[in-house]
Amino acid sequence: MRILSYSFETQLNFSGSVTNHDFILRCAPKSTPFQKVLDSQMIMIPGTHLMEQVDGFGNRLHVGSIPEAHDSFSFTSYGLVMVDQEAECAEAPHPMYLRPSSFTQPSHEAVVFAGRALQTIPNAHVWKRAVELMHAVYRHFTYDPLATTTATTAAQAFSMAAGVCQDYAHSLIMMCRAKGIPARYCAGLMEGEGATHAWVEVHDGRNWRGLDPTNNRVVDEAYIVFSHGRDFEDCSIERGVFSGAVDQSQRVKASVSKDGGATRFAEFAEAAQQ
Amino acid sequence: MYSKLVQQTPKINAQLARYGVKFGLYKQGEFHERLFPFDAIPRIITASQWSYLERGLVQRVDALNAYLRDLYGEKRIIRDGVIPETFAFASSGYLPQCEQIMPPKGIYSHISGIDLVEGDDGVWYVLEDNLRIPSGASYPLVARNLCRRCDAETFRTLSIQDNRNYGELLRETLDYVNCGGINVVLTPGRYNAAYFEHSYLAEKAGAVLAEPSELFVKDLKLYYRDANEDKLVGAVYRRTSDEYLDPLCFVPDSLIGIPNLMSAYRAGNVAIVNAPGNGAADDKGIYYFVPKMIEYYLGEEPILHNAPTYLPYYPDDLSYVLENARTLVIKDVAEAGGYGVVFGSDLSDEDLAELLAKVKAEPRRFIAQEVIDFLCLPTYVDGEEVMRKADLRAFVLSGASTKVWPSGLTRYSREEGSAVVNSSQGGGFKDTWVLGADLAGSKEEADAVRAASEVAENDCQED
Repeated sequence: MRILSYSFETQLNFSGSVTNHDFILRCAPKSTPFQKVLDSQMIMIPGTHLMEQVDGFGNRLHVGSIPEAHDSFSFTSYGLVMVDQEAECAEAPHPMYLRPSSFTQPSHEAVVFAGRALQTIPNAHVWKRAVELMHAVYRHFTYDPLATTTATTAAQAFSMAAGVCQDYAHSLIMMCRAKGIPARYCAGLMEGEGATHAWVEVHDGRNWRGLDPTNNRVVDEAYIVFSHGRDFEDCSIERGVFSGAVDQSQRVKASVSKDGGATRFAEFAEAAQQ
Repeated sequence: MYSKLVQQTPKINAQLARYGVKFGLYKQGEFHERLFPFDAIPRIITASQWSYLERGLVQRVDALNAYLRDLYGEKRIIRDGVIPETFAFASSGYLPQCEQIMPPKGIYSHISGIDLVEGDDGVWYVLEDNLRIPSGASYPLVARNLCRRCDAETFRTLSIQDNRNYGELLRETLDYVNCGGINVVLTPGRYNAAYFEHSYLAEKAGAVLAEPSELFVKDLKLYYRDANEDKLVGAVYRRTSDEYLDPLCFVPDSLIGIPNLMSAYRAGNVAIVNAPGNGAADDKGIYYFVPKMIEYYLGEEPILHNAPTYLPYYPDDLSYVLENARTLVIKDVAEAGGYGVVFGSDLSDEDLAELLAKVKAEPRRFIAQEVIDFLCLPTYVDGEEVMRKADLRAFVLSGASTKVWPSGLTRYSREEGSAVVNSSQGGGFKDTWVLGADLAGSKEEADAVRAASEVAENDCQED
């Protein structure tokens, strides 16, 4: 069990003014059997009233709109979370996590690859097979932010053998589901990572347990979950529409820390107040 | 009895064209608008037949609504093993975004279009449930109005149930689920092929006709942008499909959606009519289970029959399908709109073997049905009275109670012997007369029905 403080900031800059900006945010941690939210705050610039909801996947959703003209938009999410990977959840997986979703349609190539990875342990326990698939995905991929976009599917990324955490996660999900292992997409933060991160949770028959194929690592108490879903699309951090033909650029900052977390959190909160 | 009406057919069709009673259709990637030919010989349903249909339709729609509430909520029917989860969640109409949303008053399908046929054996069969945006109520409404004008006497002397209350039924339904504010009919716009129906129904139901750009969400409430002041909207009868409702929840690059409409709906501030996600209850795979839903949720015997259906997913059904494929119609659950529907009798030996191999490999993907020989109705085609197969779309409205509109859309096929009545395949439509209860057993009713059914029998034997 550990207590982590986190902060996550995104700034969108538009090349001109936009109006009628409607948006949703999925960047606040939710309480699960494995993490308890102790405090969570949200700061918007321009200031606007946010309404909070829970979406169909059980994720926290912040809903807002800014009708007035603005040329930048930023949101900061910060707070304290207690993580505990020893917990049990005893929650049966929803059948949708066994079916391909739009980003995780299986390719023949990937299914063959997964079969080969499990060749020596075809009847091993679900968890052991899932970990083996994670190793295989990790070895297959080269981390390359220029290789893919947010619209790249699992099959495309797999055949290029390159991509970012989203692509690693999609590929592992595609293979797990093809092999009958319930798997879901996770978006959130990781200690030591300066932006949002994506990984996978597989259901081992009792619990949902995390696998991070980008780092070839079993998820431990360094991770904070924002959202779960079938794939990236269900977990988008920010989605918005507005009027105005503009270009936009984005700047993202994230941090998660344990040491003196509470103190730094207090400082951050104080700075945010000013 | 309807001879005077038949003489007026060209005039009625000309009037319908003037009204713009058309439908749109995509053929080879191009969009065409077509007139929907009207045949003045009505389908006649006796009072006793109607009361049977009415009870069966109310029961069916009540069970379908209970299923949708359960599917997006507790999922009892799946836990209890009545519907296998692979069927419940494999439907492309199942939207996990709608999980755990309880729509206002718990109603998912407010306006249901149930497609039925009457078999040669006199038994009515349900062929399909349409719980998303069943269209077509405006056609018989307009036609009835024109027929009454052309031949007032027939409608005065015969006891035909007045169907002009559809607008009122629609308004009652919208008012019942309204969360505070006005009712609107949401149309994709005036270039949509069904724009006529949208504007007509809005007028009849006393609702405001709105395009997406006239609606917006603020603080989880839906508003209509009016010239003077923005008006709160409590119920939206949308005529756009689920995926284009809200670009922040469904298709991200949708231009015709209303951003955050789903958030307002989730917060319980607006009713969406029909509810998003209803496709999970009206697909071909789920159809098989509707009689089981009736037993499960209502504890009643199903009143209306399904066409006898087999699920190759069950081993017994699979062996039946493999042995009797020649006499069955086999449908691919994943395909919609008449695609993936194959009559075993039409296939060559090789094609049939290939199809059955697919059924064996992926049994969950298919259903098989007995072919229903359905009744022909007298129809005027090119100046001659001939017999044509016809179906009936009944409209069921669920508000404070579930009511069946005493009318419906009867569609007939253009070609002799053809069972394809889809308007996109060149068929036309008829008025549907439901005879009044007070005249049950009267001479007129008996005559009308006898005349109609005698002709029907004779001609069908020739097919």
